[in-house]
Amino acid sequence: MDPQPEPVSYLCGDCGVENTIKSGDVIRCRDCGYRILYKKRTRRIVQYEAR
Amino acid sequence: MEHGSYSDQSKSTFSLTDEDHTFANSVRFTLNQDPRVTFCGYSIPHPSENRVNVRVQTTGDPACEVLKDSCQDLMLMCQHVRSTFGKAVNEFKAIKNVDDMDMN
Amino acid sequence: MSSSDEEQEQKKNGNGGGILDFIMNLEDVPSKLSPHLELIKTRVVCSIDAPQHTDTINYSGAYAALGVDNSVRLDSFCQNFKVEVKKLTDDDIEFDMIGIDPSLANAFRRILIAEVPTMAIERVYIANNTSIIQDEVLSHRLGLIPINADPTLFEYPDNAGGENNEKNTIVFKLHVRCEKGQPRITVKSDELKWLPNGSDLIADDTKPNAGSKPKTFTSFSCSQDSLPEFSKKPLGPTNPDIILAKLGPGQEIELEVHAVKGVGKTHAKWSPVATAWYRMLPEVVLTEDVTDELADELVTKCPVNVFDIEDIGKGRKRATVVKPRACTLCRECIRGGKEWEDRVSLRRVKDHFIFTIESTGAIPPEVLFTQAVKILEDKCERVITELS
Repeated sequence: MDPQPEPVSYLCGDCGVENTIKSGDVIRCRDCGYRILYKKRTRRIVQYEAR
Repeated sequence: MEHGSYSDQSKSTFSLTDEDHTFANSVRFTLNQDPRVTFCGYSIPHPSENRVNVRVQTTGDPACEVLKDSCQDLMLMCQHVRSTFGKAVNEFKAIKNVDDMDMN
Repeated sequence: MSSSDEEQEQKKNGNGGGILDFIMNLEDVPSKLSPHLELIKTRVVCSIDAPQHTDTINYSGAYAALGVDNSVRLDSFCQNFKVEVKKLTDDDIEFDMIGIDPSLANAFRRILIAEVPTMAIERVYIANNTSIIQDEVLSHRLGLIPINADPTLFEYPDNAGGENNEKNTIVFKLHVRCEKGQPRITVKSDELKWLPNGSDLIADDTKPNAGSKPKTFTSFSCSQDSLPEFSKKPLGPTNPDIILAKLGPGQEIELEVHAVKGVGKTHAKWSPVATAWYRMLPEVVLTEDVTDELADELVTKCPVNVFDIEDIGKGRKRATVVKPRACTLCRECIRGGKEWEDRVSLRRVKDHFIFTIESTGAIPPEVLFTQAVKILEDKCERVITELS
């Protein structure tokens, strides 16, 4: 029940550098200025059936 | 389970679950060899359902007994196959060992 | 013949039952089948368009009108049955089974493919996969890897939500990372490391407050390598060079897999054989003498060199059948007109099977066949107990 979720790191679509974006921040890569950022894969363990 | 009449024990159909052509064809073969059998056959009512119907008609003996004897015969045949195969493999390995030792 | 007829009359007036025996014991009454019937009964004749007489005549009363008993008792089966092993390696076996019916041979083949149990990967827990191979594709590939473990030492998994303990699960771990700046790496099956103590990954999301070990995906009560069978031969995939995935720089795969016991019927990954098949022994017979140029033509026609030339003196040659076992039924020798069909007869012996079993490596092929026969015996026993 934290009031603001901790800052999430996103991956730049161009250079692949991690950018930590806080709420209200401009959506831009810090190194190359690309404006499309991807979310990282979940840390949860996903179960699959090997079939 | 067996579907037959109480008055005539020599003809009935056996419905086996969890079986398919593997077992049914082999037991049909052993049934055919038995001289007491006048008719035998199997069918699979529906391929999605794991069930086989085996029909046995005999010359008077109860069909249940004849089927049991055939299964028993099949078991003995399998045991014989196993022992013969085991002996043949051991013989082959023994000959191969002798050959390898000769070569070395 | 007239004297025997008179005797027959006298016998008839005497005891009726002994008549048949008497007639059967006369010299010119055949007790075996005539040669052409014997051919139909024991050989499949492969003519140019289709094979003929393909079914086996099992019915015990099939030749009753001829007075020939077709029933095969158990003791005559046991006497006539033979097995000859032709080739045996760690992975393959080729052997001949003589004197057995196709229904039994097919039953063994079906059981080998579908009902002999093995161990294969069933559950994949992916902690991190940043490679380009999708999770489900990677899981599918992992499932198909043959695992070198003796399935008789394990139990079937309890599908009703039972626990995964050391008796029914084998746990492997895969953790590969390709660092930035490194060239691409190929992830092969030897990267799967056995975890004899069970799962490493923490299952629950909530933090354990109890203070003792956090709950993992398995509940191993003792380590698997404490058992003597496993300490000698550590468990792992049968082939270390199966390519699973390829990683570019910065990509990582971290996962854990559980292997359980199953049968090929459920999913093909549990099939212990690459394949198993049988064929009937070929019999190639030259019904007419093939000499000189025709002999040369015949020898060149056959792609597997079934025929060869022999000299019969005075500069003349004759063709003979030298390697009938190699015949693949391509029918080249009977193509080219009716004369060739009359000269060469392609046949198959109905009760002589050449069995080949190719194992995936987990279980030796001779053990596989023995297990398959045992499984058929167990089926018979189950039916017998049901009927009693």
